[in-house]
Amino acid sequence: MHSMKKNATITFVIQKLLLVVVGIFMFLPIYIALVNTFKDSGIILNEPLSFPLPPIFDNIRTVLDSPNTDLVQLYKNTFILVFAGTAITILVSSMASYFLARVKSRFSKVLRIYFLVGLMVPYVIIYLPLCILMRNTGIPFGVPSLIFIFVSGNIAFSTFMYTNFIRALPVELEESASIDGAGPFKRFWLILFPLLKPCTATILIFVGLGIWNDFQTPLLMGQVQTITVGIYTAVGPYSANWGVVFAYVFFAAAPVIVLYLLAQKSFVAGLTSGALKG
Amino acid sequence: MKKNKVSFGFALPAFIIYTGLLVIPIIMAFYISFFKWNGFTDMKFIGIENYANLFQDTRLGNSVQNTLIIAVTVIVVVNVLGLFLAMLVNKASKANNFFRTIFFIPFVLSAVAISFVWKSILSYNGVLNGLLEAIGQDSMIGNWLGQKGTALVCIIIVEIWKTLGYHMMLYLAALQTVPAELYEACTVDGGGHWNKFRNVTLPLIVPGMSVSVLMSIINELRIYDVIKIMTDGGPGYDTETIVYNIVSQGFTSNIVGYSSAIAVVLFIAIGAISVFVVTALGKKEVEM
Repeated sequence: MHSMKKNATITFVIQKLLLVVVGIFMFLPIYIALVNTFKDSGIILNEPLSFPLPPIFDNIRTVLDSPNTDLVQLYKNTFILVFAGTAITILVSSMASYFLARVKSRFSKVLRIYFLVGLMVPYVIIYLPLCILMRNTGIPFGVPSLIFIFVSGNIAFSTFMYTNFIRALPVELEESASIDGAGPFKRFWLILFPLLKPCTATILIFVGLGIWNDFQTPLLMGQVQTITVGIYTAVGPYSANWGVVFAYVFFAAAPVIVLYLLAQKSFVAGLTSGALKG
Repeated sequence: MKKNKVSFGFALPAFIIYTGLLVIPIIMAFYISFFKWNGFTDMKFIGIENYANLFQDTRLGNSVQNTLIIAVTVIVVVNVLGLFLAMLVNKASKANNFFRTIFFIPFVLSAVAISFVWKSILSYNGVLNGLLEAIGQDSMIGNWLGQKGTALVCIIIVEIWKTLGYHMMLYLAALQTVPAELYEACTVDGGGHWNKFRNVTLPLIVPGMSVSVLMSIINELRIYDVIKIMTDGGPGYDTETIVYNIVSQGFTSNIVGYSSAIAVVLFIAIGAISVFVVTALGKKEVEM
């Protein structure tokens, strides 16, 4: 009995120790980026772990004053893409799912599979043909076309989520409304769509964060100046002024980290529930 | 009555956007892959020559090998360690919540932000070497991102760091579906930790595990951002992955037909693996 207790204590200590070690590994890079944003670039390599006392704002100022990066423009482009991309995705996907979930026909079954295929597409296959397509049809590269490219890439996931969600809701609610003379359009927006809120929240976070963080798509589809592409071009592949690099990272990551800490549960649900239902 | 039916009109906007910007480009990629084309001059039909050439392409072979080394290592580590961590933080407590929060942060950040932070740590004139010098261990200073072996290890470490918290969360969600009574029953029967894990936990989290494994396979086979920023495929082609190879050939070298053929093969491979994992692990679930 005594040795069993001792064993349990040892196991407990080892478990906690492992958590702390992994915790340090996970947190240290974030800590390094954060404290060194507010230090003089000259001392970063000598004392990267020290606390920035007093904090120096030179790196932040360098980014704000840089003639090569218009931070306001980067944020503006990214916000428009996130907002419009997410809104249009939610609009068209929820409506399409209403058809897929409520109409039991061969055609709607085939259409559902047609939309599902998009879940498996490695996006790299799209970029070149899409560039050629846009060149040949004269559609200009830029924020507006990029919005619809993002929507097209998110329809598969969103219709999949919405269709499953709508199927789990009772049809009776809509039927009672149709007796009152409401057409399918009214029925969808007034009765069904508000009920989809939990699913919409998931898609909002999944799609919105995906667009905010995407690098490959805006880079290859016309070098649209989003926050990720802007930082990449501003820092340059070979720059080693780490203080300024950290300041750029700070501007890209800070909004996301703040939102995550405020709405942690929704973030985790939004980013994992899609996979769980797969 | 007919007015009351949900018509295809509801699905039309999604259908048009999805078809025009996703499906048609995929079909175009298949079509282009049978041509010799630089994207500008006349296309020349060459049948399956691009596909035949894939097998003699040593640069592509190297990028496939790199992708597989990264993928296999990361998939094993994030799934084993992810499950283990999930079991450690499964009980709700302040400390465990804290760890969950920390572990998940890297997954919400962009690969660009993450890669620049790790680049600042691992570069030759970076933080790690600075620290080694400060503590007088000059002999350990290395050009981590500039040498073949270590550069690939660095990429693997960053990928693990980025996705570990996500897989932990997937396992955590799976663990919470296991009813506590089953553990109690196992304890009554005299089962130890290993017994509980083997006979209760593992069989019940198989669905969650198949999802976690599948997501890690799909993510790692598509790895690009981290490579682009940390090593740009270098030194030489030493950290070049499949997707990096496709982008670099298609966009930089303008070998449009050939790079499309590689992309088509990758698409088919990911599709086949997805179907295989889902059916294989799906079967396992029933058997257990």
